Amino acid sequence: MRRLLLCLLGAAAVSAQPAFAQPTVAPTPQRAGDANGEDLAGYNIVNSLETGYRFRSVDGNLGKYRSDVNFGNGLRVLGSYLTINSKKPGSGKLFDELVLSTQGLGNDPYQFSSLRVQKDKLYCFDSVWRWMDYVNPALPIANGQHGIDTTRQLQDHDLVLLPQSRFRFLLGYSRNQQDGPAFSTLQFPDGRGDEFTFLDNVRRTRNEYRLGTEFELLKTRFHILHGWEYFKDDTRAPLFSPGPGANPNDTTTLTRFRRDEPTHGQAPYWRIGLHNEALKTFTFDGRFTHTSGQRRFVVDELAIGTGRFGAAQNRQLFAGGNARRPVTTGNLTLSWFPLERLTLTNHTALYNTRMEGEGSYGEFANGVAGLSLLNFQYLGIRTFANLTDANLKLTRWIGLYSGYHFSERRVASSDFSDADPPARLDRAEQTNRLHSGLLGLRLQPLKPLRLSLDGELGRADRPFYTTSEKNYHTLAARAQWKTKRASLLGRYQTNYNLNSNSLFVHSARNRVASLDATFNPKPFLTLEAGYGHTHIETVTGLAYFSLGELIENDRSFYRSRLRQVRLGVQLQMARRADLYFGYHRIQDAARLGRSLMDQAFPLTYQTPLARFSVQITKKLRWNLGWQHYSYREERLAWQDYRAHTGYTSLAWSF
Amino acid sequence: MIRLSGLLLLACLLEAQPKDPYIGSQACRACHPAQTQSFFRNAHTKAERGCESCHGPGRAHVSAGGKKDLIVAFSALSSRKALDNCLTCHGKDWSRNNIRHSAHTQADVVCSNCHSVHQAATPKHLLAKPQKDLCYSCHPNVQSQFSMPFKHRVNEGAVQCADCHNPHGAPAPTWRMGQRPRLQQHAQANEQSCVQCHADKRGPFLFEHAALRVDGCGSCHAPHGSANPRLLNRPVVFTLCLECHNGAPGFGRAGQGIPTQSASHNMADPRYQNCTTCHVKIHGSNADARFLR
Repeated sequence: MRRLLLCLLGAAAVSAQPAFAQPTVAPTPQRAGDANGEDLAGYNIVNSLETGYRFRSVDGNLGKYRSDVNFGNGLRVLGSYLTINSKKPGSGKLFDELVLSTQGLGNDPYQFSSLRVQKDKLYCFDSVWRWMDYVNPALPIANGQHGIDTTRQLQDHDLVLLPQSRFRFLLGYSRNQQDGPAFSTLQFPDGRGDEFTFLDNVRRTRNEYRLGTEFELLKTRFHILHGWEYFKDDTRAPLFSPGPGANPNDTTTLTRFRRDEPTHGQAPYWRIGLHNEALKTFTFDGRFTHTSGQRRFVVDELAIGTGRFGAAQNRQLFAGGNARRPVTTGNLTLSWFPLERLTLTNHTALYNTRMEGEGSYGEFANGVAGLSLLNFQYLGIRTFANLTDANLKLTRWIGLYSGYHFSERRVASSDFSDADPPARLDRAEQTNRLHSGLLGLRLQPLKPLRLSLDGELGRADRPFYTTSEKNYHTLAARAQWKTKRASLLGRYQTNYNLNSNSLFVHSARNRVASLDATFNPKPFLTLEAGYGHTHIETVTGLAYFSLGELIENDRSFYRSRLRQVRLGVQLQMARRADLYFGYHRIQDAARLGRSLMDQAFPLTYQTPLARFSVQITKKLRWNLGWQHYSYREERLAWQDYRAHTGYTSLAWSF
Repeated sequence: MIRLSGLLLLACLLEAQPKDPYIGSQACRACHPAQTQSFFRNAHTKAERGCESCHGPGRAHVSAGGKKDLIVAFSALSSRKALDNCLTCHGKDWSRNNIRHSAHTQADVVCSNCHSVHQAATPKHLLAKPQKDLCYSCHPNVQSQFSMPFKHRVNEGAVQCADCHNPHGAPAPTWRMGQRPRLQQHAQANEQSCVQCHADKRGPFLFEHAALRVDGCGSCHAPHGSANPRLLNRPVVFTLCLECHNGAPGFGRAGQGIPTQSASHNMADPRYQNCTTCHVKIHGSNADARFLR
């Protein structure tokens, strides 16, 4: 009996652990009601529903606040949790398990719900629904006029029939929908014209249907799935009278503008997987996928205004065509266990994609046929990778890891255009190889202490981009002390990449170090603290035009000195009330550059929070929370903001 | 004393039974009440042999009065053995396809490090903690990235780590050189996970921006979080573009360098310092090779 009580107390203590790493103050992690639930008609039910009011008060740049945080005022269902389980496995009539959890429904900018319903041996249904409201009010740190205020709705539904049998059937549906207004820009009447902002009505929908099966044959498990993806982008800029251009000195005007650019297409795909664990010393996994995708498009644009010298200008253009991208992959992983303590794995991957499309383009300027051309584009990428790794457990407390990875990538392209007669076809091809070696050491000298050291060294012969990895190395060290009451984690990692030839240099280095600790001195008290810093330094050769002159020997510098502090205290009082204090601060302490190409972006972003939750009755809790957001940057002070947000809510169980 | 008598009685009864190594989950309840009492909520309750499906035959363990080395105790198993045990049933799932070669497996992080069958914080995947807290506990630097002003909404609960990553082991990426990043989930079976949500950036386009397809979205964006708008790797746009478009020999499709900007662009003039004001369709265009519309 004593043991039973101790076990139950232990389980209760674990379930009362605070949800750390919880930078948003609501919903409240503590739930109302009995964690063991109540029995009803052969089922056990656990539920908690939290409803409350959020408030906010913003001092400073509201647009920047909405872009970063976006919590507003109003009532909402902050969170809910419901589980219904049949007490006896398989005895439920329609289902044996139902799990439903939601967050932020009704008014939050980030809403989420997750549902699982299953009946033993018959079906298992999983569903996730998400809704996000994202605002980016054309913040000037981007020097941009591209504002966006769209909502995105994501849904994933999966049904498995006969989930415990040798033959399982899979059905699925996903939907991704983005709607709302946005601002984009256009240059008129040509490349020397002014830039004008216009309104875009974003309407994008992606639907995906899946049908498949999983079965076992000859001791090998197979997974076969066929999917159909349909995409529609009916974003359009309705007839609109844009305001003045971005450059006050430019005399160009755009008085009317309209653009329709529907893109519709589909991408059916196959995926086949196989897995064999029949032998004790040898296993293999295989994977094959093929996606064929195509998009049909039309662009119809009309722009009316005046040119630099005041003459009336109108431009109408029409483009239409088709683009395709078949992608095929094949993967095979072989694992061999020659000794009890030795594992050898080899992963071979082949990836092939062909991107090709053709289109016609026609342009009328002031009613006269101007540019008319045909385009054909092809870009092909074929990658072969072979990754071999060995893991040796020398003793119970010491292990070694090593790996050799090789890959080869061929990029080929063709570019046809009849813009400048005679028609021109350009072809190009290049191959790049990368060899890398990995080495690791794992130590566990004491049961609670784990140490690891890892290193990787890579050499590529012909990277595609100036900022790609060429001669790079990575070193990482990690130490973790973990007991039931305390945990201490220290970590250091450095990455260095040098991509240079005789005329050009790109060098990038970043170092990450962190120390995090969690301590439970008493069952009712938890302390958490963490400090980390990330230093990034890159230097890259540049070539650009300035006042008509080609500058070839300049360099861009980028420095970031991120420092992060995290503190948290969770206190449980008299087993009825929970108090949480948290503080999070991020600072980029890099100094502002002295020239245009010398970049840093010093800022400070901090979010202290406090939350109080008290159990009023067994089935009712009252919660109160406050969170402050403070954003301050050195470059553009007018983007700073200070926001007080908070909530009060009731969580009840019924 | 009562417990001891019960065990002795149980042991005597067992002696009289034929020697089936399995004893049934009922016998486990006597000594492991906390694990068994709420086990009806656990997905493993459906396992054919109950507790013994994972812990192996229990008769010898019970007969010996609970001797620990006569039962499969996951806390005492080597990481490889623990993985072997779970894959007996879970190997067929598509998401476990490359688990033997996963970076987690290579680092001795196996199922029981993240999943807690008996004290799960999430009923759906039996995770030991809510997903983001679980990942942060070993990757604290990622936590600081998700606390940046511009970020994917992981801390807010709208996005989860597993939306983009497959912690069980993803196949080699189909972008960059096919070696890194590791553990990245593939959208639609073989594409970069970003296009799963950002479907409009997927294409295919008549004019592809090769950087996306060759080196991936990470060429320009820091996906976890950034101090820079649009999760860009640099605070202003033009250096990001010019670092590749600098004509340096040896790079690009034909090895003649990525084309430099037009001579009509005067970088001393602020209007040319935000390239995407005019090159609006930078992820790919169907109408203009220079991504102007």
